Amino acid sequence: MEEPRLSDDEIVASVLQGNRRDFEVLVRRYSGRIIHFVARMTADNDEARSIAQDVFLKIYENLPYYRSENNFSAFIFRIARNMTLNWLNRQKRTIFISRLLGRDLGRDPFRLDPPRLSPQEQGERETLVTDQLRRLPEEQRLALVLKVYLEFSYLQIRDVTGWSVPKIETLISRAKSRLKKCILLQESGGEDVLPARKK
Amino acid sequence: MNCQQIARMLSASQDGELTPDLELEVRQHLRGCAVCREEGNRLQQVVRRLRLVPPPAIDPFFPARVMAGLGTRPLAARRLAQAVAYALAFFLIFAAGFALQTGSGRRATAVPAAAATYSSVLLEPQDFGLLSVHDDTLGLFAEAGRE
Repeated sequence: MEEPRLSDDEIVASVLQGNRRDFEVLVRRYSGRIIHFVARMTADNDEARSIAQDVFLKIYENLPYYRSENNFSAFIFRIARNMTLNWLNRQKRTIFISRLLGRDLGRDPFRLDPPRLSPQEQGERETLVTDQLRRLPEEQRLALVLKVYLEFSYLQIRDVTGWSVPKIETLISRAKSRLKKCILLQESGGEDVLPARKK
Repeated sequence: MNCQQIARMLSASQDGELTPDLELEVRQHLRGCAVCREEGNRLQQVVRRLRLVPPPAIDPFFPARVMAGLGTRPLAARRLAQAVAYALAFFLIFAAGFALQTGSGRRATAVPAAAATYSSVLLEPQDFGLLSVHDDTLGLFAEAGRE
């Protein structure tokens, strides 16, 4: 299906006028990037699709609050970011509680278990750096994912996160340094991960 | 600039986020400093390895699933309007009920129930069957006395 060459703002205006089918154009336009973003944040492709679906429903519900002078991309990635972080926090709570209940008290309750991966994703799992990305503190991971996978500028990241540019610069720099150390450790046959932090 | 200052800017330099002046300084430093060059190469290697990870496979049915999920879901502003309408309707029903109850209460005090006999005031005949029989018996005695 040939997508009409309309700007995001024009499509939003059309949806708000009652043409809800036009929302599908926005879904087609952004679904790949949203799913990619959520997948890199959660390290779980199946869960990413499910979360991305909820993200689009949330975007639809909140369209009346979108102001056209703002960047639509920033608007939807803000929603994606919030929902992904909520999901990660729920995961942490679930794991924390299950460990408190005695299933695995000997381990760090803040450390996430590796997610279940499909056979197709096993290749991805073998990439050491993906595993290390999942263990980065959330803020560092968020900044790095937006920069590396979505190729956002620091200003665009600022629009999504609300952080200052110097903070973003520091987060990305620290994330890269941390991953670099992990890779070096791995290559020298040392401990495979650096301890995960809560935040 | 020394190596420590350059190290802090290497990442931003590779991301193309430095001002032209700073970018020039970093490049000049890297030309003469093997340690910082090596550090820069390692950081670039990290980004290259991150980019090796492919995006999740595209699901052609994803947009259709989202549209199906929308169903009759209203926009947030309309949902708010619906909530306000429900709240208003509830309030009106409550207020109408309260007004009716107050009105009927006033009528009840305005028109006192007629007290026909001694027993109907003190006792409810239909609730206290035996007592009402007793009351009727007293009535019979009274009639007999008059006769």
